[in-house]
Amino acid sequence: MNTHLRNRRTTLAALTVAGLLALTACGGGDGGSGSEGPVSLSMTIWTGNEEHLKLLNGIAADYRKSHPEVKEIKFDTLPVETYTTTLTTRIAGGKAPDLAWILENSAPDFVSSGALVPVKDDPDVLPAAKKLWQRDGKLYAYPFSTSPYGVFVNTDLIKKAGQPAPADLIEQGRWNWDEVAKIGSAVNARTGKAGMVIRDFDYKAWDNLASVWNGWGAEAWSEDGRTCGFDKPEMVGAMTYLHRAVFEDKAMPAPGTTADFFSGEAAMTVTQISRASLLTDSFAWDFVPLPEGPKGPYDVIGQAGLGVFGNGRHVEEATDFLTFMTNAENSAKLGRFFPQARTSQLDAATLAASNPQVKPEALEEVVINGIKEGKVKPSHTNQSEIAEAVRSALDPLWTPDADVEKVLGDVCSAIRPQLEK
Amino acid sequence: MKTLERSTSAVPPPQRSRRPFWTARRRDHAVGYLFIAPQLAGSVIFVLIPLVMVLWYSFHEWNVLAGTFHSVGADNYRALADDPKLPGVLRNTALFSAGLVTLNLGLALALAVLLNQRLRGRVVFRTLFFSPVVVSLVAWTIVWGFLLQKNGGINAFLDLVGVQGPNWLRGEGTAMLSVVVVQVFKNVGLNMVLFLAALQGVPQEFYEAATVDGAGRWRQFWRITVPLISPTILLTSIITVVGSLQVFAQIAVLTQGGPGDSTTVLVYYLYQQAFEFHHFGYGATLSVLLFLIVLVLTVIQWQMRKRWVFHEN
Amino acid sequence: MRTKPSPRARLLLYGLLLVLCVPFVFPTWWMVTSSLKPATEIFAFPPSLLPDHPEFGAYDKVFDLQPFGQQYVNSMYIAAVVTLGTLAFSSLAGYAFARIRFRGQNALFLVVLTGLLIPSEVTIVPLFQMFRDWDMIDTHWPLILVPVFGAPSVLATFIMRQFYIALPNELEEAARMDGLGRFATFLKIALPLSRPALAAVAIFTFLHSWNLYLEPTVYLSTPEKFTLPQALTSYVDAYGGPMWNVQLAAASLTALPVLAVFVFAQRQFVEGLAHTGLK
Repeated sequence: MNTHLRNRRTTLAALTVAGLLALTACGGGDGGSGSEGPVSLSMTIWTGNEEHLKLLNGIAADYRKSHPEVKEIKFDTLPVETYTTTLTTRIAGGKAPDLAWILENSAPDFVSSGALVPVKDDPDVLPAAKKLWQRDGKLYAYPFSTSPYGVFVNTDLIKKAGQPAPADLIEQGRWNWDEVAKIGSAVNARTGKAGMVIRDFDYKAWDNLASVWNGWGAEAWSEDGRTCGFDKPEMVGAMTYLHRAVFEDKAMPAPGTTADFFSGEAAMTVTQISRASLLTDSFAWDFVPLPEGPKGPYDVIGQAGLGVFGNGRHVEEATDFLTFMTNAENSAKLGRFFPQARTSQLDAATLAASNPQVKPEALEEVVINGIKEGKVKPSHTNQSEIAEAVRSALDPLWTPDADVEKVLGDVCSAIRPQLEK
Repeated sequence: MKTLERSTSAVPPPQRSRRPFWTARRRDHAVGYLFIAPQLAGSVIFVLIPLVMVLWYSFHEWNVLAGTFHSVGADNYRALADDPKLPGVLRNTALFSAGLVTLNLGLALALAVLLNQRLRGRVVFRTLFFSPVVVSLVAWTIVWGFLLQKNGGINAFLDLVGVQGPNWLRGEGTAMLSVVVVQVFKNVGLNMVLFLAALQGVPQEFYEAATVDGAGRWRQFWRITVPLISPTILLTSIITVVGSLQVFAQIAVLTQGGPGDSTTVLVYYLYQQAFEFHHFGYGATLSVLLFLIVLVLTVIQWQMRKRWVFHEN
Repeated sequence: MRTKPSPRARLLLYGLLLVLCVPFVFPTWWMVTSSLKPATEIFAFPPSLLPDHPEFGAYDKVFDLQPFGQQYVNSMYIAAVVTLGTLAFSSLAGYAFARIRFRGQNALFLVVLTGLLIPSEVTIVPLFQMFRDWDMIDTHWPLILVPVFGAPSVLATFIMRQFYIALPNELEEAARMDGLGRFATFLKIALPLSRPALAAVAIFTFLHSWNLYLEPTVYLSTPEKFTLPQALTSYVDAYGGPMWNVQLAAASLTALPVLAVFVFAQRQFVEGLAHTGLK
């Protein structure tokens, strides 16, 4: 259930939001105008965590020392569930913040809308990490958190089921999805717990499945975003595997069944390395790279960005502060909580300092390769609308006797008009 | 009520004409306006003006992120007529509201009747039934999400009695039922309390007389109780119908409109269009539609009161 | 129908009530007990009825991570002001609509009633723009003004009107014959008689304000000004993930006092309503 809540942040959201909507005429409104006198900057974020705020306020204080004209830098915490809704309402009401964190799944909408202004494109930041935040060769938000996907393993549970540890399989060169299905199936049969959980997917947030289908070389749509990829053989292969793993092998929990890895309910889970903070010492665990698919090894990353709004009141100062906040020195500080995709920081020692729980070898493999080579999850302009159409059309797949090819064909028919727009 | 003002002493002595300006009737008008002035002014500023603005937006295409806002005439209304998803959404909305109102009022009345018995500890039960009203909606929905899992508490219970339970939140029919039931349990306490108050206001003598006449319990309920509490039934049904068209939190958390589109109701759809897909003009258009639906339903219920509700006016 | 059931019927009744209670009580029970569990135990399946090792750490964190005390005060005083304001204006308007005859009465009542029909979120954007123009963003004014004057208070006016329509008129008539003016009649005679309806309005209004979620998140941006429902969702870990045990602890702290008030006030509320009530 927590997965539920966690990932559809915009939706749950609105808890009370019943109705909605409407937006604004005088939009954009009279916000504008030049900046005289002392400048006050605001930045919306979704963490209320004290440590984070201390870090952010520290960086802001440093900045103000060298920039006396900036009187105040204010960090506004918005609840993550309603983050995009609240931010959008404020923009509609003519009160856009100067800077904002941007969730990965709303990145394409923000970047393509023209709401953001270009920010400094630091060559130290890896190209793969910038892709989601670029348009026409310019960078519209700094990827302030880039976290690779890997597999957390409950080694106690695997041992109990008499299965080989993933670490051993890696040594033997056999760490692949077929083995995952076998282990998961055995765990489920012998312990009653779940085998493999694709975290946050929950048969709704389908973009998380990219952490599986990339191993088949499948893609949701073509690079240019115009051709649907769901009916291609690679995707059919990946989805057939998933369907079998769920309904025949019972290696993954079926729809409507929750199993939280961090509570010890599952043997393995695919998620971002940053979730290591959820682990306790109630069971022995390991962190390993994603299994190989038929197309060999691959990497997937999840991100969050930081951008400057073009219709904020102090665009220039805000851009300058962003550059300061994400320079080499400060991004090293940010790296303690938010993995930075910078060449200069991608060494085992730096990483070990910020991820004390994870073994250095795993960091080397997952993080360094992940950030260098990793693909981001599928994204497209009108992402949320397309995502909803896919979610709805994909639902028939999650029944025991589904016709995989037909369902995937239907997914394509459902989203083709959007893709071709 | 048409009695004229009898206390003339407070009326300013008329000087100029034979008919005083401040007739009792005029005074009543003035006092009436004064009494409703705060409420009326508030309604105009905080309800009507914003509503007119929403209507205005519905004739525009407005992308908040891009900052574009331009008139598109009746395009949004044409899109409404052609929206392939809308008929399904409206059907779901009707199902949801009908289910919610029936279950909510039925259960509220049943609980109120049970708790109206002379029973030790009924105050405790009353509190327990009311308690979900004050519980955080997030916590409430999480727990129900658990209970409704395929291997969750409800199916475990059904197992005990030898029934294999369905996959509640993943089946097209059961998902809607689940969402309705979760919402009913959350809020039925409020209606229950209102019914309870109404029941306690029914004079005991009526039942005694009916018993003497040989009317059974069931007959008494329909012939005496229901008519006498009909104003409360009207009030609660209006509140519940209006509320059912506005609630979407449980849907957002439990099913997100799925499986397929089977639990996508109007408010949820409107939310998606405006806040998730950034089609604010179209969202406003759906708001106007929602408003009209609620308006029509309320007018119908209001008219029905004349036929069904005992003693109004 | 308020009879004393026979012993057998009574046993049956108790059994029925106990079973019926389960779906109402279990979620609350889970909320409170889970706030005493370590974060990883909360989502263990099937959910446990009692924590293995109850711990109160989450409750400390509630106050450490947010100015929760201040937020509690905010919610309290906003709900109190909203409730008082609504009681005052809705009883005035409800009385006028029920008792006084004036031109355009029905039309004006319909105008007011419109407010009941609009989900308040439908109008949140125009309202936001309005409050921006009045420079009231990041203040508590929108959370007070809109409920007191706007949509939520309409329900209150409606309840009051229905109440006064059903209330016998003789006392007021007598008072007016004795020379009491309209306002004095309202204040001294009608208002004291309407205590039950006021109680219903107070409960509705208080709960509405207490649970308001979207509006505070839209209007407020300073944690010291947050209200409780908004504060609940602000307990997140390093990556925006909810700290469930802390959120549930905060949620328990939010729900229990209101429940306690209901326990104490319910006799007044329910039984008071009964005598003249909304029947």
